[in-house]
Amino acid sequence: MAGKSGRTISATPDKSLKKALLSWEGMLLLLFIAINILCKCISPVYNLTNVLREMPKYLTEIFLLFPMAYILLMGEIDISVGSTVCLAATMACLSSNAGVPFIGVILIGLLTGTVCGMINGFLATRFRELPTMIITLGTQIVFRGIAEIALGDGGSISLTNADGFRAIAGKVGPVPYMFFIVIICAVIFTVIAEKRVFGRNLYAIGSNSRTAFYSGIKVNQMLFISYTVLGLLAGVSALFLTSATYGANTTTGKGFEMDAIAMAVFGGISTAGGKGKLIGGIISAFTITCLRVGLGQINMNPQVILIILGALLICAVLLPNISQSISDKKKKASRA
Amino acid sequence: MKKKVLSAILSVAMVATLLAGCGSAAEEAPAAATEEAAAEEAPAEEAEAPAEDAAPAEEGAAGGGTYAFVSKSAGNPFNERQATGFEEAVKAIGGTAIIQHPESATADAQITVIQSLISQNVDSICVAANDENALQAALEEAAAAGIKVCSVDSTVNVASRLTHVNQAGVTEIGQCLMDAVYDITGGEGQWAILSATSQAANQNAWIESMKEIQAADEKYAKLELVEVAYGDDEPQKSTDQTQALLQNYPDLKVICAPTTVGIAAAAKVLQDQGSSVKLTGLGLPSEMAEYIGDDDAHSCPYMFLWNPIDLGRLGAYTSAALVNGDITGAAGETFTAGDMGDYEIVTAGDGGTEIILGAPFKFDPSNIEEWKEVY
Amino acid sequence: MEKKSLWKKITGSREASLVIVLIVLCIAVTIKSPNFMSAQNILEILKNNAVIMIMALGMLCVLLIGGIDISITSTLAFAGMTIGMMYKYNKIESTFLGFLIATAMGAVCGLLIGVIIAYGKVMPIIATMGFMYIYRGFAYLVAQDQWAGADALGSFKDFTLSNSLSFGLINNTITVTVICYIIFFIVLKWTKFGRSIYAVGSNAEAAEISGINVAAIKTAVYTIMGTLAGLCGALATSVYASAQPNMQTSKEMDVIAACVIGGVSMNGGRGSVLGALLGALVLSVISKALPLVGINAIAQNTIKGVIIVAVIVLNVLTQRMMDKANLENREM
Repeated sequence: MAGKSGRTISATPDKSLKKALLSWEGMLLLLFIAINILCKCISPVYNLTNVLREMPKYLTEIFLLFPMAYILLMGEIDISVGSTVCLAATMACLSSNAGVPFIGVILIGLLTGTVCGMINGFLATRFRELPTMIITLGTQIVFRGIAEIALGDGGSISLTNADGFRAIAGKVGPVPYMFFIVIICAVIFTVIAEKRVFGRNLYAIGSNSRTAFYSGIKVNQMLFISYTVLGLLAGVSALFLTSATYGANTTTGKGFEMDAIAMAVFGGISTAGGKGKLIGGIISAFTITCLRVGLGQINMNPQVILIILGALLICAVLLPNISQSISDKKKKASRA
Repeated sequence: MKKKVLSAILSVAMVATLLAGCGSAAEEAPAAATEEAAAEEAPAEEAEAPAEDAAPAEEGAAGGGTYAFVSKSAGNPFNERQATGFEEAVKAIGGTAIIQHPESATADAQITVIQSLISQNVDSICVAANDENALQAALEEAAAAGIKVCSVDSTVNVASRLTHVNQAGVTEIGQCLMDAVYDITGGEGQWAILSATSQAANQNAWIESMKEIQAADEKYAKLELVEVAYGDDEPQKSTDQTQALLQNYPDLKVICAPTTVGIAAAAKVLQDQGSSVKLTGLGLPSEMAEYIGDDDAHSCPYMFLWNPIDLGRLGAYTSAALVNGDITGAAGETFTAGDMGDYEIVTAGDGGTEIILGAPFKFDPSNIEEWKEVY
Repeated sequence: MEKKSLWKKITGSREASLVIVLIVLCIAVTIKSPNFMSAQNILEILKNNAVIMIMALGMLCVLLIGGIDISITSTLAFAGMTIGMMYKYNKIESTFLGFLIATAMGAVCGLLIGVIIAYGKVMPIIATMGFMYIYRGFAYLVAQDQWAGADALGSFKDFTLSNSLSFGLINNTITVTVICYIIFFIVLKWTKFGRSIYAVGSNAEAAEISGINVAAIKTAVYTIMGTLAGLCGALATSVYASAQPNMQTSKEMDVIAACVIGGVSMNGGRGSVLGALLGALVLSVISKALPLVGINAIAQNTIKGVIIVAVIVLNVLTQRMMDKANLENREM
């Protein structure tokens, strides 16, 4: 059973709106609204059209959030995903310039990402005594290194024919196609995490990998699948990123891993595994996106924005802990 | 169940907030305008979708206009001086300057900044590109929204710009550096290049040009370029690479470093070791003052650079001329850049057009003390 | 029999196998570039990588208690940039004062992180990720888009050129590194504090019950890490005669890799000063050797990554062999 998994709220169904709002996800939702109001107040050009137009860069990172959340839930991590995005984008561009039809380009991009994910998964399951942080630190250097070699002198490639990529960067009204795909992914990943055995097992592994293993959960298989899916979505992310840059270079996707992890953590998903909900990660992703768009529109120094995000990240974890310990103390006091 | 309620609230709230934002934009905008946002942006707000229509109206609205400058990255004095020059010139013509340094030296970060500037409906964007091609989609979007785009310092491709403000012609810089190498080596011997990253567009163009010049002229036949090393603009890696050059080529005479971080790191290595190898290249006077000198105690006899402040100012005047319609960015046009005098647009090597600031400036022991205070 | 036991001794010790890796690396490089092992070259290796080597000590302690710190290079940049600016605008002159200020700043930065992790019960990776952004941002704000170059640093940069600390024997940078290593070796091996770090890492609950103040130990360890990062900020500024707000960005991963290569477990409780030293040396030799042996600049990162992965995997295999050997012994 996933008793200690932080799913206690759903284990004891409580339909009251008050409880829902008091949960971390509820708080995030309020924060999301508050941030939107704030941005509206400080930036005269903060509106739906502009937010949706500025969103694609952040959406490419949200793709990575979903499988990253799975991996974090199992108590593992992947810091190589930014390099995977770089390599997949490079391969897609190279194949496109070599005259491969666009459908083939898409397949090559996705395949590259998937293979990178499989390599991570293979190493992570084969060498269980190695922390995944270290494994993916190694592959982070290697994947980007391969991209650097493939890009050769100049370190940058530009599409000679960007028609296909222009097409996937299209919009329905003001809404980019990518937005719908992100929403679809969000639904699929949330349903799997909340309603399927696979999701329950994620929490079980995160709470206690060994117990999960002895209770018959195929831990290695799940790890492998999760890393592979992360690779696949890194491929998706790379394709959409390419559609915004018409090319790739050696810095493509740099820092994506940290952004994806920060979104998940801010959404209440613990890096120790077993705790948190995907829906929280999704709300936090959009909250962070809106905040960055809004602050960007008033031309705030990007370094200050990073300071604010860093402080938010720490507070997001610190505040619940403090209130928890205060209420614990009160309980103790009242018992005495 | 709770999750369903929650997701319902989420989706409703998200759409509601955003829609509310969109709907009330026109009413709220003037009230909420902060001092950063010029009041003339409000009319553009109402007509969100067809931004092209809004742009001409804006041009006529105020004498100033809003001119944006996007640098390569934060925390670099060279970029900062460019920004200072840009701001100065914009003030001189009575406009509002927006200076944006992206959070890191990547094309991705610049795209984010450019998107934000499109939202703010600025009149022009002047960008020093981190990648020649990667900004194309964002800058095309800006152009479609009626924003005049030019590049400065490091160019974007022809499709994404109206014109480029170049610090000096590529061959001019190549020739300068090649002559310096020829002069310092005494006309024969081994020399090496220490560059920034392997994908730095400017550096690659200059290196390429130096190689061509060397191959083309008999005069340089006795010079041998032994290696192009990359220090990635990191002091530590540049130091390692310089030491490796010294070790691998005992007969090396000159290192040429056409990058501000690399030249400082190399100068330190050479000077500390008391090496007989000399250095030249492109560097900031304020960083290099300690190393410039004619005697054996100093590693760099002389080096070159252009005035980044003037570069930024010319960028601003070019932006203004584009916005005012004085120029369209076609070759052969001329315009007056404030107190800097007249400039002509010429055809660039990549098929587009460019404006050239002037010849690179030589810094030697006679003038370094004076210039190190300036930039 | 004799031979076998020697073989066992080598495979039985992680450090010994690392020494072999190091020797093999050095020999391989020396074949390609004969004067690799020259005194000057070794001096350069130690000097250029002093920052990584010193921070590896702090990281060793952090990893020993089962934590992690990815904010160290941001602390380094914040401290280094601050004193750089102080020299630039002539607020301070004395070299000693510069080191003191940077080290103190690092200590305060580390203390803050430690308190949040130990008493706020925030996961180390999250807390340090947040501070990675915060301190780096501070470094940029302090810098105001300026660098402190050689000219601005005055006599401060001469510190790492002279041999004054060891009375003319060896470069100051190396003296500082050696002193740090000696202190940590003694503290971790023979003091109560050192042993409690291992105890906390092996089993925090058991340590708590046996009377160790776990939260205090954790705070102390992160403070030590910060202190070293601050010290390295001053050191890096002096070695490269330049303070830039983006200095040493993402080098924290090199420091962590150095520890892991040196056999320090990321789950806590296992690792030694010798291991950290060897790990840092392996990385230093790699980064020094790659440009020397004439590998194409573009392929250097890939090769570095492959070597790191290979050494780490080798580590695991050695460990597995050790475990197996132990089991066999027990059966007998």
